[in-house]
Amino acid sequence: MTGATIDHLVSVTVFLAAIVLFIGLFNQTVQTAIIYQQHRYLASRCSDILDTILLSPGYPINWGKTDTYPTSFGLQDPEFTQYRISPYSLMRLQSVTGTPITYPKTGLTYSNITMGFGNFLLVPYTKAINYSAATKLLGVNNTLGFQLTVTPIITVTITETHASNPLTASVKVYGLGFPLSNATISYCFLKVKASQGNTPLYSSAFGTIFADDEGEATVSFQNVASDESYVLIAYAHLQGLVGIGYHERVTSTKRYVLPLIDSFAQRRVILAHSYDVHYGGPPESAVFFNATFVLLTEDFTLREMPMENSTGKIGKVNYGNGQPYANLTIPTYNPGILIVTYKSNNEDGIVLMPWGMSTMAFPVTFGDRLTDKEWIVTSIRQILVNGIAYQAKLALWSFKGYSVVG
Amino acid sequence: MPHITIEYTIMVPLLILQIFLFPLAAGLLMNIWVDSRRALALQDSASHLGSTVQQLYFSLNHETIGNGTRITNNPGVPPLIEDHYFTATSAIRAVSALPNSTKILALTLALTGTQNKVTLSVILGPNAQWQNSTYMSNSTHAAVSAQKFNGAILLRFGE
Repeated sequence: MTGATIDHLVSVTVFLAAIVLFIGLFNQTVQTAIIYQQHRYLASRCSDILDTILLSPGYPINWGKTDTYPTSFGLQDPEFTQYRISPYSLMRLQSVTGTPITYPKTGLTYSNITMGFGNFLLVPYTKAINYSAATKLLGVNNTLGFQLTVTPIITVTITETHASNPLTASVKVYGLGFPLSNATISYCFLKVKASQGNTPLYSSAFGTIFADDEGEATVSFQNVASDESYVLIAYAHLQGLVGIGYHERVTSTKRYVLPLIDSFAQRRVILAHSYDVHYGGPPESAVFFNATFVLLTEDFTLREMPMENSTGKIGKVNYGNGQPYANLTIPTYNPGILIVTYKSNNEDGIVLMPWGMSTMAFPVTFGDRLTDKEWIVTSIRQILVNGIAYQAKLALWSFKGYSVVG
Repeated sequence: MPHITIEYTIMVPLLILQIFLFPLAAGLLMNIWVDSRRALALQDSASHLGSTVQQLYFSLNHETIGNGTRITNNPGVPPLIEDHYFTATSAIRAVSALPNSTKILALTLALTGTQNKVTLSVILGPNAQWQNSTYMSNSTHAAVSAQKFNGAILLRFGE
């Protein structure tokens, strides 16, 4: 009877093993389905939250042009409908990418978006909306985390091809992987002129050129020496697609003027000596400046807007204690570019600051960092920021990992 | 033959136990499966309903839209989930005590005749208002409507 006993033992064991295996597999299938659905649910929330951010101006509706904190968060331009975003609300988002800087003379830390030397957007933390506040205003704190990225779609690249007499530059206009053939390109050329005095003087030129089939165009300027500083801003458009690019050449990056936003409500900008921020050593040397403002007009051209002397457009700043910073008032709420020419010890240069995020096609990354997150969903919208084509992408995750709650 | 007796004494009850245990386990697992499936379908409907409410709000929330404008939308969610209809109720709250803060509409969907219930939060602006109402998925008047009054947007279920 030993055979029958072994038969029984084997069959019972196999039977039990089969049941355990079946339960395990079934459970796994159910869990997979639930997790899949939770991911779908999170994707749906991602789309809804992105719409909340992009289709609502927040409250007050013009909070981007004030120094107050909104009580409801949204980025839509209140003057428009659909996916048109306020360039000023975007400016007030605390950037997650740039290294913040501290300016001892105001005692403030500044959110930093710097796109290469001379292209700065520095907004004090006291005026910028931080991620924590945004999650609370959206009602998703402690449940969901996000990162919002707003990047320009059209890339306008300017390359200097000949340094002087004539100065020649190549302008290339590209979309997402394709050239903007026959695009119209309006440009603004501003050159720091050689002068005997301390205050830098400049001359400007405006014009329009057309891109070829490859999306490229060439522009040249006479009477530009190889040791002269200049900036070339190009504003390209083709059937509703609009992009912007810029290129600067400066003779000195040692001492320069740094523009810091002081007040959105009063359109006031602080001009600081770079040594005060980057802690340069002696010798001290004053930096003299002369500022101007270039508007992006509705007919896709660039136009210089005269600034009165009372706005603080001309002055000097120095380094160290007892040397106050300068104040400058931007004359308008129309988006444009603040151009500050500077001169110190016969070296000169130009720095730019966007007034309205889109005017220099600056990207924005706002929110938490994406590292170490368990599961991230993304949603994308094509948007316009003051007419400039951008793409907004929201990355969203749940603090509960897979176990998403509503 | 004592070992045969012992073998039958142990093995036969065990096998008989298996006869009951297997259907019991299978039934339990099937209940979990059916419950999960219904919860997933209900969650899907909740997401859809929430998005509809939000889109209606955004459509009216602009100064170019005049007071008194009213829109109604059939959200297109299925009337029945596995032969059960569901109901949706909602409550609105502000996310903070600050005046004019964002409002959260908490949607609760319950599948009738079952224990299945899901919740969803919809983010709306400070001028959103909610009128107490119930959405019945199998009703011929199953819809979401929004109306603008003095800058505020009143949302509710029903035509």
